[in-house]
Amino acid sequence: MIAPQVLNEWYPVAMASQIRAGQRRLTQLLGDPITVEVQDCAIVVTGQGGALRVTEAFGHVWACPGTPAHPLFPIPEALETGRRLVDVGVVRVKCSPLRAVENFLDIAHFPFVHTDVLGAEPHTEVNRYEVNIRADSDEVWATKVTFYQPQAAKSAEGGIVTQYMYRVPAPTAAVLYKTCPARPDAWDVIGIFVQPLSEELCDVWPWMALYDDTTPQAELIAFQQMIFLQDRSILENQIPRLLPLDPGMEVPTQADLTSIAYRRWLKKRGLTYGAQMVAA
Amino acid sequence: MTPRWTATGLSQDLPKAVAMAGHWQGQDLAVWRSATGRLQAWNDRCPHRGMRLSHGFVRGETLACIYHGWVYGAEGGCKHIPAHPALTPPATIRVAVFACVEQDGVIWVAPADTLGAPTALRGLQPLRSISLTCDVAAVLLVEPALSGEDTLRGLVQIAGQACEVCLLVQHGASGLTLHALCAVGADRIAASRWLEDLRRRAERKGTA
Repeated sequence: MIAPQVLNEWYPVAMASQIRAGQRRLTQLLGDPITVEVQDCAIVVTGQGGALRVTEAFGHVWACPGTPAHPLFPIPEALETGRRLVDVGVVRVKCSPLRAVENFLDIAHFPFVHTDVLGAEPHTEVNRYEVNIRADSDEVWATKVTFYQPQAAKSAEGGIVTQYMYRVPAPTAAVLYKTCPARPDAWDVIGIFVQPLSEELCDVWPWMALYDDTTPQAELIAFQQMIFLQDRSILENQIPRLLPLDPGMEVPTQADLTSIAYRRWLKKRGLTYGAQMVAA
Repeated sequence: MTPRWTATGLSQDLPKAVAMAGHWQGQDLAVWRSATGRLQAWNDRCPHRGMRLSHGFVRGETLACIYHGWVYGAEGGCKHIPAHPALTPPATIRVAVFACVEQDGVIWVAPADTLGAPTALRGLQPLRSISLTCDVAAVLLVEPALSGEDTLRGLVQIAGQACEVCLLVQHGASGLTLHALCAVGADRIAASRWLEDLRRRAERKGTA
């Protein structure tokens, strides 16, 4: 039995351009089979109990299997002129959808998992940063995050200290803002939209809104896919597969403040699909 | 159940400064050899975020987790957290340690408080490890010269000659691993082919 608060959230289920191009996607959401397709010029998501509520945003199709508790979160930067919106595609990962989101919020792994790209020894220190739950939007936010990166983006030349902000606007979606190598006054925006196929299997849809007019699309996508494939080697080898919400199970440190806040936020809201409540 | 030694690999397959996955009766282990050759077997789970330590990397006398680089030293204690280089990790951050010994070219593991040593295997040399998708009964069925439960022994025909073999059984999640030894002086290539043929015949006969 899946809790109503889980069913009443929005989840990504497809890349909109692929469905609009005539593809019919037979997939799964929260363990149930669904179909995503175009019917009479509209994108329709059909589950076992009939049509699901659907919305289209940030290049992706989002569905709510229950009664939406709220509209889908906004990403205002998606509407800014001059940004390139990049749908990266899909990476299937044999892990809890919540573990995929948590990993996206983590910077301390950069030197070890994305070695010489997003991080490199001896630059491993994670400085203190700020985390809070924003009262107006009920989102987890981490700000004032800084980290030394050898190649922060496809457009970066040489190492820089990158500034980050992280945001969790939905249980299986996260958005980061990071220093834009081409425009020091602006942020690059990267999201991951995680489709929970089951509690231990997910499709991850990375998405970007960048100021980068020069890098070919294929290279931008290849760069992000390389990063996510490196993450996959971690995510498929964490024990237990479900994200532990019992604080006694794993040992966090100050560098894990975002992860701690995310876990508490999930627990408080009862968003426990893909989570483990008891120590094991 | 009485704690007992289980073969989890052959010494020849674990060089210095390498970590590999091992098992003790369904418990996943990280088995690793330090730069100076010291062998250890630990719970295959980093206390920080649950990553398998068998994916980690060995530096000197320590094993580091591949996820965030947490460094663990002798007896499983956390020595260093790279995200907080100035911090001395609390002694409570510790990986559970198993008993691990090397004998006759075989790596044996058991719970930490296990007394005594594994059975000695005299006159035998390590051959290779092989995974099968069938059960022990199927192996005994296709090779009646073998007998035993966790240690299959017997005199089998290899390239037309009688040869003593010993297969140490390790049960895993997806089947069986056999750590094979054969008589000192035997033709190891022929013995290896015999072992592969045994696998083919056993897997055809029965599934796990």
